[in-house]
Amino acid sequence: MKLANRTYEVMYIVDPETAADKIVELNETIGKLIEKEGGTIVRMDDIGMRTMAYPIKKRKDGYYVLYEVDGTGQEIMELERRMRVNDAIIRFVTVRVDEDRKKALKMAAKREKRQSQRLKFRKTTEETAEPAVELQDA
Amino acid sequence: MAENDFEVPRENMGGEEGFGDKAPRRFQRRRPRQVIPDYVDWRDVDYLRQFIPERGKIMPRRISGISAKDQRRIATAIKRARSMALLPFVWE
Repeated sequence: MKLANRTYEVMYIVDPETAADKIVELNETIGKLIEKEGGTIVRMDDIGMRTMAYPIKKRKDGYYVLYEVDGTGQEIMELERRMRVNDAIIRFVTVRVDEDRKKALKMAAKREKRQSQRLKFRKTTEETAEPAVELQDA
Repeated sequence: MAENDFEVPRENMGGEEGFGDKAPRRFQRRRPRQVIPDYVDWRDVDYLRQFIPERGKIMPRRISGISAKDQRRIATAIKRARSMALLPFVWE
């Protein structure tokens, strides 16, 4: 099986009632797990306490953590299995972002190309249009 | 304000042909096209808020006036944000 390189965003909410050092510990273990399973952490963002838009498990706030992971998908599988079991994590989501980002780059490149061509076209029309106006005046 | 924007075009949705002697109705003009970034970040709540009227629903395309492709991307981003309690499903 070909192991494609993919980028994921993993976000999870930790129960706000767990102790602060426990949260740090949890984040460390998750980071280690990702690296052990063959993924690389691109970015780790500790967003912190945030009021949730609706209560989850009767909690109004949540401690948000975001990981950006490069990997094959194997480590995500393992990570999600662990998170499902962990009681401190009240919600998690994984989003594959590499494809959408690639698409965005493609669109930007396309637009740039189109713009440069438009500029070329405009130059030629101005050159041809100017003498035409003069003729009309005369 | 957002509520009003939501209501106005709906009244004018009654078809292009008027009834009886009424003048033919015109569709409300859409909002000017917005530029949607190439990559819509589902975590950027402040950006996504502009597509959510007061009730918390996703703004329909006939009102937001964005292209179908962009609308799909925005809707997916909003749904993802909702699942993580970044955005509400309903506002009371």
